[in-house]
Amino acid sequence: MKSWVTLSQTAIEVTVVGGYLGAGKTTLMNHILTASKEPVAVLINDFGDINIDSELVESVDGNSIALTNGCICCSLVDGYVSALEELRLREPSPERIIIEASGVADPASVAAYGHAPGLYLNAVVVMVDGANVMEQLSDSLVAQTVAAQIAAADLLVVNKKDLLNDLGTVRNQLKKLNAGALITDCTNSQIDLDLLFGSEVVSKAVVPAEMNQFDSRSHRSEDPISRQALAEWVERLPDEVQRAKGVLRLDEEPQIPMVFQLVGRRWNLRALAERKNPPLGNQIVVVGPKGLVPEDWDVGLR
Amino acid sequence: MSEEPITLFIAKKIVTMDPATPAATAIAVQGDRIVGIGDSEDPDLKKATQIDNRFSQHVLLPGFVEAHAHVMSGGLWEFPYVGFYERADPTGRSWKGCGDIDSVVERLVEYDEQMEDPARTLIAWGLDPIFLKGDRLSSTHLDRVSRTRPIFVLHASGHLATVNSEMMRKSSIDRHSPTPGVARDVDGEPTGELQEPAAMSLALEGLSTIGKAMMSSEAKWNFGLEARNCGVTTVADLGTTRLAREGQLEAWREVTDARNYPARVVVAFGHYDLGAGPTDIDDLAGIAARLSNEEETTKLRFGIVKLILDGSIQGFTARLSPPHYFDPPPGHPGNGLWLIPPEQMSKIVASYHKAGLTVHCHCNGDEASQVFIDAVEEALTVHPRDDHRHTVQHSQLTTAKQYRKMASLGMNANIFSNHIFYWGDQHAEITLGAQRAAAMDACATAERENVRFSIHSDAPITPMSQLHTIWCAVNRKTASGKTLGPNERIDVHKAIEACTIDAAHQLRLDNEIGSLQVGKFADFTVLESDPYEVEPEKLKDIPVWGTVVGGVVHEAASE
Repeated sequence: MKSWVTLSQTAIEVTVVGGYLGAGKTTLMNHILTASKEPVAVLINDFGDINIDSELVESVDGNSIALTNGCICCSLVDGYVSALEELRLREPSPERIIIEASGVADPASVAAYGHAPGLYLNAVVVMVDGANVMEQLSDSLVAQTVAAQIAAADLLVVNKKDLLNDLGTVRNQLKKLNAGALITDCTNSQIDLDLLFGSEVVSKAVVPAEMNQFDSRSHRSEDPISRQALAEWVERLPDEVQRAKGVLRLDEEPQIPMVFQLVGRRWNLRALAERKNPPLGNQIVVVGPKGLVPEDWDVGLR
Repeated sequence: MSEEPITLFIAKKIVTMDPATPAATAIAVQGDRIVGIGDSEDPDLKKATQIDNRFSQHVLLPGFVEAHAHVMSGGLWEFPYVGFYERADPTGRSWKGCGDIDSVVERLVEYDEQMEDPARTLIAWGLDPIFLKGDRLSSTHLDRVSRTRPIFVLHASGHLATVNSEMMRKSSIDRHSPTPGVARDVDGEPTGELQEPAAMSLALEGLSTIGKAMMSSEAKWNFGLEARNCGVTTVADLGTTRLAREGQLEAWREVTDARNYPARVVVAFGHYDLGAGPTDIDDLAGIAARLSNEEETTKLRFGIVKLILDGSIQGFTARLSPPHYFDPPPGHPGNGLWLIPPEQMSKIVASYHKAGLTVHCHCNGDEASQVFIDAVEEALTVHPRDDHRHTVQHSQLTTAKQYRKMASLGMNANIFSNHIFYWGDQHAEITLGAQRAAAMDACATAERENVRFSIHSDAPITPMSQLHTIWCAVNRKTASGKTLGPNERIDVHKAIEACTIDAAHQLRLDNEIGSLQVGKFADFTVLESDPYEVEPEKLKDIPVWGTVVGGVVHEAASE
């Protein structure tokens, strides 16, 4: 279990979207750009691939397209470092960046860029081509690449569920390759963005009803928590709890609201950006498969 | 008839690589072209305006063609070299190898003292920890050079860098840095070693300074000087320059237009020039074709597209057929990496093929060669095209069966013979095992199966020197002195052919360079002794006097 603390007040959240050729990454990027309730920046491999409704385009400037909803879409033509640096220096800088990894990239190596100063990694999301993944995993040319991508994920999205007869087999195969990841499924890359970003969890402390395959439970308390108690609580969390997010206060610096989040087996803690309107006390929501989140999940926090 | 003066160069021997007139002693040059070749007593030749006797004790060959190098080879010389092997810079200065950490530190101290601006970053390159005994280079060592000036040492692999504590301070690298690849000591403190691009990019100032140097005009000049020093008159920058980038075409034009720029340069168009994964490859093909049709000069050529399909054998990232790697490091997944999804290759190759371009594809492993060969076959089935010359680059593990297929499809190979010397021992012991290592870089098999091939240095991966590369292909000696796969050795003539006419062929320039014939460019390599006469073991030691490029004489720099 990895953990760290970033104390930057204005860190930008980075999410990496990986997956093999044809898994639906670009469609997901489109979905994020049009469905996001807040302005995000997406970094994509190829403008030609992304099909943005022309009515949504506000302006095109070299390697970036500004949308009327405040989102920005940038090309990775000059590489990750230069694209991330450009976004970091932008005024105002985006609060959230989503990077599309190439179809053969190891998403873990792309995610490494999400740890640079001023950034923090939210999650590695890997799109899985539900209709073809079993075949890919037995094709000697691409099996290793696909398996490595699956293994690098915090969140696995089985896409093209509509073309799939046996979701259970695919899920079992994915679990074998990555026991720690949260697995969800969808059609046409239409996944709930709150599952991706957990943003609603922070601002409203509720989990949207659409996530009907999951149960969520919330915890509220007032006294600051010790770092050690938090770490011990995370260690003891049941395996079923794979997504958690919240805002809490640490006893060492109770005046700073800290964002806690956990995706799959990865968790982190960082200071909440000033511009948000932080809730008082501690609020944490956990999400797990329906019926599998135990009642006493938050004992360690009380 | 042109009124330009004709110069008759007299030489001890002229090797023409033209089977009709294999040898001569005089060659007449008018402007940048050859107008006559034959015996120095030939009365027709003696009608030349002037006789140039300076090569009367030298051996002339058609100018060597290095068909796979990278312009950053020139850019790196802006910074001090701290590699293990001795290496000559473009000015001819020989840099002694750094055999241990103390000599690395010593060289950097020397540089630190010379640098006027105390805040400027000190950058060095070429460090190869495999060869250095004792500790691994760390910030502690580099702090002995300076604790106030940032220092960035790029390793030979290009995948690692080591920085000092001032660079770490400036880059906010500390024990809390979460980036994977920030190496740590037992107490969790960063050692200064940054592994892989994401960690290296934390020391952004170092990396971006190197990036700028690689693309500068000085890099382009150094590239030409480096070529001249080893007798190369035509050199390919294989997909390094981003030609779609503003200013790069103009910069190449300006440099190569200079009369004293000592090389013809073939700048291959990189498939990734416009982005990490372009959908509309036809657009890219259009740009590449336009360059080839409209922007060429006598010393600047286009028309080649470079693809990179897999990684490297020594990095365990090349795609190999079973049984894959011999003794990979713990945790290695078994096979290498694809840099392009194999399913996409047909479409990519077909686009460039249709546009009339020649595709040169980096394939270190045999599985990669197969995917490329299959893509070429498919493109040819849909769009039959004569004389395309699509080329397997590196071609290190291409098998006899694959060479047969390549011959039937009209494909070429450019074989990385320098690997035999630089990594042959490691291939026999670690990456491939003795049997497959003996069959790698199989020039004799390519020859037997009738595939036209060239041999290359991939500079700066290994130093540019065609005589060294010829020596490798002829002798197949490893760094430890073993002969690796004696049955894949080729004879001197074949090796010279690979570096002249056959290299010209795969760059589509064989009608203008590659042999000494009337009407071709007056491009010569000038050697102090005859490669056909010296002991094969001594081929790499033949001194290079210099070159003639388009009739202009360029003496190699030496200390």
